Amino acid sequence: MSVGEPAMEFAWSPEQEAYRQKLKDTVAELLPDNWTTDIAPHSYGSQQQIEYSRTFCAQLAERGLLVQQWPAEYGGGDGDAWQQWILAEEMMLVGEPRGPQYMNVNWIGPALMAHGTPEQKAEHLARIAGGQVIWCQGFSEPGGGSDLAGMTTKAERQDDGSYRINGSKIWTSYSPYADYCFLLARTGAAKKAISIFLIPMSLKGIEVHSFPGLVGKGHLNQVYFTDVAVPEAMRMGEEGQAWPIITYALRFERVSVARFHIGRKVLDRAVAQLQAEGRFNDSAVRVRAGRIAALLEAGRLLSYYVIDQRAKQGSDDVNGNIARVSVSAASMELQAFIMDYTPDALTGGDYVLNEFFRANLSSTIAAGAYEVQLNLIAHGALNLPRSA
Amino acid sequence: MDFDLTDSQQALVSSLQSMFAPYGEIPDAGRGLKSYFAADLQQKLVNGGFFDAARDAGNLEAALVVMEAARLPVTVETGASALVAPNLLDAPLAGPIALLAGDLSKAQRLLSVARNAIVDTGDGVVLIPIDPDNVEPVETTLAYPYGRFRELPDLSKGRRLGAGAREKLRQWSRVALAAECAGAAESAVIFTNEYIKLRKAFDQPIGSFQAVQHRMAQCWQIMRALRYNALHAAWTGDPVRADLAATYAQMHCQKLVFDLHQFNGAIGITTEYKLHYWTFRLRALQPEVGGSDGAALAVADKLWGAAA
Repeated sequence: MSVGEPAMEFAWSPEQEAYRQKLKDTVAELLPDNWTTDIAPHSYGSQQQIEYSRTFCAQLAERGLLVQQWPAEYGGGDGDAWQQWILAEEMMLVGEPRGPQYMNVNWIGPALMAHGTPEQKAEHLARIAGGQVIWCQGFSEPGGGSDLAGMTTKAERQDDGSYRINGSKIWTSYSPYADYCFLLARTGAAKKAISIFLIPMSLKGIEVHSFPGLVGKGHLNQVYFTDVAVPEAMRMGEEGQAWPIITYALRFERVSVARFHIGRKVLDRAVAQLQAEGRFNDSAVRVRAGRIAALLEAGRLLSYYVIDQRAKQGSDDVNGNIARVSVSAASMELQAFIMDYTPDALTGGDYVLNEFFRANLSSTIAAGAYEVQLNLIAHGALNLPRSA
Repeated sequence: MDFDLTDSQQALVSSLQSMFAPYGEIPDAGRGLKSYFAADLQQKLVNGGFFDAARDAGNLEAALVVMEAARLPVTVETGASALVAPNLLDAPLAGPIALLAGDLSKAQRLLSVARNAIVDTGDGVVLIPIDPDNVEPVETTLAYPYGRFRELPDLSKGRRLGAGAREKLRQWSRVALAAECAGAAESAVIFTNEYIKLRKAFDQPIGSFQAVQHRMAQCWQIMRALRYNALHAAWTGDPVRADLAATYAQMHCQKLVFDLHQFNGAIGITTEYKLHYWTFRLRALQPEVGGSDGAALAVADKLWGAAA
């Protein structure tokens, strides 16, 4: 052992601290006075927040803060995965004013950089980096559940080389207001013969029907594709070879929202409410709160481990599933805490608590159900055999 | 942030693993026992200077010593010697060291092998030497040696530490138990994972059943969290991080021990098998320093202020 050598490091660098402060200052400067009263309470899938995101993200872009981690050739600042994560933390902390554009920055843009044609990059990357384009992701299908590869939406080749797409996607957050869809469709009979299409939502034959639900506005939609004519130029990657790209995208999706970060804020708010009401002296309540803080802290460290991997290797592996499971466990306990001690959040009380509660109704289902994450850990980390 | 060990930290782990290699199995003399205290390995750790890691290199390195030792089926005392004493005392204290608290008429962990003890008196900290003739071993299913005083020690004759010592003692005891839980859990989970790949039931490995896989995957996630919680708490030296790490470790002991024993089945409750050396160390650590409730209350006090 030698003294003075750099140690395993759990601290932020001065540059990272400065970047975080810059983000905080920028958010404080940009968010309008009615953000917490008229916009944020509608949730980041709502029309209000989506429309505001076009303003906010464009302003972030002007300040060089929207895609800081992207390569300079695509409008970024050659930053790293940590900058992307710090941005996610700070945005989540104030209610995600980027709306759905967090997806653009986190994985749609990077997927395009890695697999898009020069024309596709030219068409999309500058617009994403400009902060004024809304995407939705056409992955899940009615009746599909967790079996993503079992999708039935078909893209059939036409004589002129184009495709004709028929089928339906469901859940499809943000689709009523989206400019583009990152669409998966079957282009062959084999289980994973799936292709990706980057299609404008304005194409003829696309219809969006919204339906009510328990989660925030804008998240529950069904998108119908009826004889939608799609030029070959809108296909990203080789035909039928989308699976590695999907896997790449889902990895980023699984650990892209700093839920432990907002979770801590939510826990602090719940405790503050209990203190104000004189109900935080009960040891049973205090123990519950302390335990949830411990669960959130574990989720934070395991998520940071994933970001460290991304910073060093460009991607992560099964550790993303491990982090997701850890954060899900913490979120479930925090939901229960809200229900047990601050249930008025669901009946007109603190909207931040309410929004966390509602957002987490689906967090163990979206981006691969909690049980799918466990399957992936069992096979990817434990190397356990598949059932006969 | 950087989650990789540096070259020197990796070298420390490698040297520990080399020294520990012969202790991967319980010696014949110890087979069938509920725990086996490896006095010769304890001395090797002293001679190798490993308990000086906290002073010479840092608390993270000291936590690595504790973690690596806890992966062994044999027992050595590392938490107090590597982490607690160096953060509490100016000069080294001869080990093994027992950390005593509560009713001293009851059995205490490691007392039967200790040369010195650090006593949490409830309102302060007192150091006392241990007279082996005044300690009787206590039979237990827990995988540490336990002992009980024949006559209660006169704490007024011990060395009383100054203000703030009790807070430091509790902090570093929690870091130490978190690190020890991390090491023991790692071995128990990996051991069980290998077993369920081989053990067949209903004509297939029991590890192929999803009911088993999901719970093992949860244990794996917990195991990973234990490691980084403990290292983080050691590295920062932040008292609340110690409380958080201990809360997490102690609140998950039940799940780990229950699931891992379930998957090993009845053989896991025989002392000819190795599992209990790790799981019943977790059991022993589960209630220490106030247990998960006490640690969680300490978290609440530090994060949100003491109860009115």
